[in-house]
Amino acid sequence: MMAEGIFIYLAAAIVILSVLVITRSNPVHSMITMLVLFFHIAALYVTLNAEFLAAIQVIVYAGAILVLFLFVVLLLNLKEEMVARRYIGPWPLGVLAALGLLVVIVLSLKSFIPGPSGVFTTEVVRAETNTKVLGQILFTEYLYPFEVVSMILLVAIIGAIVLAKKRLRN
Amino acid sequence: MDNYLLIPFLPLAAFFVNILFGKTLIRDKSHWVSLFAVVCSWVIAVMTLFEVIGGRTVNRDLYTWIVSGDFRVSVGFLIDQLTAVMLIVVTTVSSLVHIYSIGYMHGDKGYYRFFAYLSLFTFSMLMLVMANNFLQLYFGWEAVGLCSYFLIGFWYEKKSASDAGKKAFIVNRFGDFGFGLGVIMIFLTFGTLHYAPVFGSVNGIVGKTVDFLGLQVDLPTLIALLLFCGAVGKSAQLPLHVWLPDAMEGPTPVSALIHAATMVTAGVFLVARCNPIFVLSPPAMNVVALVGAVTALFAGTIALVQNDIKRIVAYSTVSQLGYMFLACGVGAFSAGIFHLYTHAFFKALLFLGAGSVMHAMAGELDIQKMGGLKKHMPLTYWTFLLASLSISGVPGFAGFFSKDEILWRAYASGPLGHLLYAIGALTALLTAFYSFRIIFVAFHGKFRGTHEQEHHLHESPKIMTVPLLILAAGALAAGWVGIPPLLGGGEHFAEFLAPVVGHAKGEGTHAEEWATMITAVILGLGGIAAAAFVYLRKSTLADTVAGRFSFIYRLLWNKYYVDELYDTIIVRPTFWVAKNVIVGVTDGKIIEGIVNGVPRFIGTLSSWLRNIQTGMVHQYAAVMALGAFVVIAIVLFW
Amino acid sequence: MKILTEMPDVTALMPEIVMTCLALVLLMLDLFIRRKEITALLAIVIAAVVGFFLTGSSGTAFSGMFISDGYSSFFKLIFLVSLVLSVLISIRYIKIESVNFGEYYSLMLFSTLGMMLMASAGDIIVLYLGLELMALSLYVLAGFLRHDTKSNEASLKYFLLGAFASAFLLYGTSMIYGLTGTTNLKAIAHYLAANGVAHNPAVMLSVILFVVAFGFKIAAAPFHMWAPDVYEGAPTSVTAFMSVGPKAAGFAVFGRVFLTAFGGLQVDWAGILIPLAILTMAVGNILAISQTNIKRMLAYSSIAHAGYALIGLIAGGGNGVASMMNYLFIYAFMNIGAFGVVIMLRTEGFKGEEITDYEGLAKSHPLAAALMLVFMFSLTGIPPTAGFVGKFYLFMAAVAEGYTWLALVAVIFSAISAYFYLRIVMYMYMKEPKAEVALSTSAPHGIALAVATCAVLLIGVLPSGIIELARAAVAGF
Repeated sequence: MMAEGIFIYLAAAIVILSVLVITRSNPVHSMITMLVLFFHIAALYVTLNAEFLAAIQVIVYAGAILVLFLFVVLLLNLKEEMVARRYIGPWPLGVLAALGLLVVIVLSLKSFIPGPSGVFTTEVVRAETNTKVLGQILFTEYLYPFEVVSMILLVAIIGAIVLAKKRLRN
Repeated sequence: MDNYLLIPFLPLAAFFVNILFGKTLIRDKSHWVSLFAVVCSWVIAVMTLFEVIGGRTVNRDLYTWIVSGDFRVSVGFLIDQLTAVMLIVVTTVSSLVHIYSIGYMHGDKGYYRFFAYLSLFTFSMLMLVMANNFLQLYFGWEAVGLCSYFLIGFWYEKKSASDAGKKAFIVNRFGDFGFGLGVIMIFLTFGTLHYAPVFGSVNGIVGKTVDFLGLQVDLPTLIALLLFCGAVGKSAQLPLHVWLPDAMEGPTPVSALIHAATMVTAGVFLVARCNPIFVLSPPAMNVVALVGAVTALFAGTIALVQNDIKRIVAYSTVSQLGYMFLACGVGAFSAGIFHLYTHAFFKALLFLGAGSVMHAMAGELDIQKMGGLKKHMPLTYWTFLLASLSISGVPGFAGFFSKDEILWRAYASGPLGHLLYAIGALTALLTAFYSFRIIFVAFHGKFRGTHEQEHHLHESPKIMTVPLLILAAGALAAGWVGIPPLLGGGEHFAEFLAPVVGHAKGEGTHAEEWATMITAVILGLGGIAAAAFVYLRKSTLADTVAGRFSFIYRLLWNKYYVDELYDTIIVRPTFWVAKNVIVGVTDGKIIEGIVNGVPRFIGTLSSWLRNIQTGMVHQYAAVMALGAFVVIAIVLFW
Repeated sequence: MKILTEMPDVTALMPEIVMTCLALVLLMLDLFIRRKEITALLAIVIAAVVGFFLTGSSGTAFSGMFISDGYSSFFKLIFLVSLVLSVLISIRYIKIESVNFGEYYSLMLFSTLGMMLMASAGDIIVLYLGLELMALSLYVLAGFLRHDTKSNEASLKYFLLGAFASAFLLYGTSMIYGLTGTTNLKAIAHYLAANGVAHNPAVMLSVILFVVAFGFKIAAAPFHMWAPDVYEGAPTSVTAFMSVGPKAAGFAVFGRVFLTAFGGLQVDWAGILIPLAILTMAVGNILAISQTNIKRMLAYSSIAHAGYALIGLIAGGGNGVASMMNYLFIYAFMNIGAFGVVIMLRTEGFKGEEITDYEGLAKSHPLAAALMLVFMFSLTGIPPTAGFVGKFYLFMAAVAEGYTWLALVAVIFSAISAYFYLRIVMYMYMKEPKAEVALSTSAPHGIALAVATCAVLLIGVLPSGIIELARAAVAGF
């Protein structure tokens, strides 16, 4: 009961905060809201016995990425952005689609039957700690995807450099 | 040895070379490319003939394009006795026409284009005769038609030329529609389109009937008649003969190659090739024979009174093609092919001779404006005379043997055969008459053209006369391979073809055979004598007769008003319906609505839908989400 | 506790490993290469080497996460072909656009690597990662013309919508993971069959979410909205690449997931795909008509072709899938060929993207016009080009599976498509040149066009080789 209450609070807060992030006209306000959002997500991970993910969430997203965002926002002169209307065009269409999607998904999930859980039950994870279990599985069973992820990161770096830094020859 | 593959593909290569580089690089040297290709084809064709004589036939798929279940589209070659004969005919005439055209088309601005088309035509014709399946036959069939269309309308600036091209195309549509249906019927019946399995299992369809337009029709008869539809169109038989005389608008070498020696004989080839199907259906055979006989007589009578030298020869072609069908219809397929083979020589010669005359007369076609050409162009005269003797069936010449064979087989085929023989013999008389009418009117007597024309008269250059001489040799000697036993010959031609088309032995005594032969010869010589009498001795007699029988004369002069008839019952009603029913009654709304409305509707829809593409990302995302929503809602909650 | 004590068996993975290593080497070497043509050449060499390793690779690795079979190898062949052709047509073009960087080729290689991982994915996680690797490289490539706002816009749009589509994919994955407790495709199929939950609405929901995500990648309506904008804005060479390889990769995972994991639900998902295929053909063909920009027109055409190819998947079975693969292979040549001609019209100071720029091209540049004619004929599906063969097998497969009416619909849309393809031909051959149009040609470009033309004509005349290869490839599925 207690756990459910916490989940409901966190889930609701995450949705509301997400909406707030994209509706603030002041980018700095958006950023701050996003920070709060990230903390809520981290809290959600904690309730799922995923303390490693929670820590990563706080350190990487809240600590690094958001700070970078803030730098960018503060470096750029975004005065115009603050007065511009955020919603242009047919936003009711989007709301309609989203709500419709929500309804049908919720309805179809009524019959959801959870499948069998694997070897990493909550007890195992608690006993071994999340960090250790994650490390084990990542470097054994999921070695291959892990390597692929490294390629993705590499491409992201190359992309960032190409798009941002490379001088155009003319 | 697979070099027979080169026979069609050399001309194809020549076509590509000429069409790609002819305009810019080769220009007035285009003939070398095409000529080289076709002469090589001829050499290989001769080699192939000897191999076939040696007993080696080929039937194989070169490659299969598409296979889907039972449906196989493949390019394959069947080289048997029939094909070998056709190969010789096509490549020989084509080579000679190529040489002749160097002189005839000299200086034409479409020179390279002309040779490119000639090569393409040669390729298509060779693919047609070498096919081992109906689909390829059909492909070749349409391709030769297309080439013929290009070449008839070669001088497309001339309205009559492009009209004639269109007419040929449209008239052939009627026949080809039937032919196409026939091919489909064959596929539906046999599940394959290859000759060998179709002809191999053809006996299985005897007595079967099929529901066609609500009638129970005998299956072999239906297939045979549908195929014959195509033959009627392509070989200009009644009632689809109207395009061939008009096709004379094309350059004369084209008339010689396509509209005399090769393409128009494709119908005869088709019937001979499909003889296993035709022989299953006596009614279809009778139709073939009767159509052939009636066409022979009908076209022969028209030719009597025409003045346009090429049209006379064209009607003569229609008439001779009728003979060939007559032969096929009485089951003497080898006789039909024999006549096809000899006819190729003398008829090509007649056309090329006519071309030579036109060349000298600066394009004049009316024989009444000629006369006395003999002394100006002796080579043309003598070769033309030889061809005329041959077509008239004068003993010893090529035409005599083939025509005699046909007439005797017709006579020997039974009661209907006697009638067919009578028609054929009468046609022989007419043939001799109109052929020598040209000789006597155009080459003898006094020149009746303008002074300018007379001054211009000259023998054609060697490049044109040499092919005439070679063809003349053929017109004289080509028939010697098929001398009947009655005259001490061995019937080599018929025996050669026997494995493909069978060798029907007629019923009849030697006496009857002598009688039919002598009658036909007498009628032929009588025709020549009559022509000589009318046009050399009493030159006023022709006009007198024409005046006395003016009704018949006008009927013939106007070609039995067939064109007018078609104009009245088909063309005009079509236009009338088009104008009054479609435009008038519906006020153009329905048809125009469909023809223009559908594209316009799609266009409007397109422009309207285009507005959805606003360029705004969140809207795109919304559409995606909406799409997902709709799909989920329908699939899970409908 | 498991400790990895020995190297896993990676022989099946060799092409991908070679690709990764060589692409990284190229990235490094590029620092020392001044002439970027050499980088391009090396990229082609790498593709060739990978192609060589492709021949010997088969089997699975990493406990079924990686599958190398005929199916994946055939798709990898398509990817490599489109990579090589795209590189060849890029060399001159990116110089003209003054973005002649070596990273361009590295990104293309990484993107291709992503596609190869997708085609070989035996696990949804790997599939997703391959997809992201491919997509991320493409986002960058689409925005490669930094000075061009249209290119920036294309990149950003593609990125945002791609992320949106990924969300669908992940949501679907989480759903199916929750239901079956696994992300391995074979295990999913096994679980669904064994536990009788196949017709649980949640499974269908997951199927639909996958349809959305994959439909986005292949640009099927109504998830196609990104395509015209991105295709138009992206550098033309990237558009050419993007319209072929990633689309084929989308089909590869479509087939892999739906035939393996949801193989027992064929009737259900075919029922979803049929209206989507029809809608896709309708939207693609109808909207292409009103376009004035040729890249945009080709974008809609590429949407329409996704609709045709979907028919193969719907027909299912060895024949249907083989005809789809055959079609995608053919499509690679004809579409890159068409874009190759489009690129030739791009010269310094002239965009050459308007359809009216093609007026009278046959008079000024007969060869280019003739090539365009071949590609347009092939895209329309006129025999004897490869496009006809591709469509023929697709439609025959549909007919054989009892979808005659669907084949008929597709034929009707093909007929509509003739309108806008042949309009280009009409402009080239029947109109007078409006303005002097120069062509930017180069040897590599010529090679690419020659290869594409020969392939289109050769496959058109001798189609059996490719379709037999595809059928053999599917046999081991």
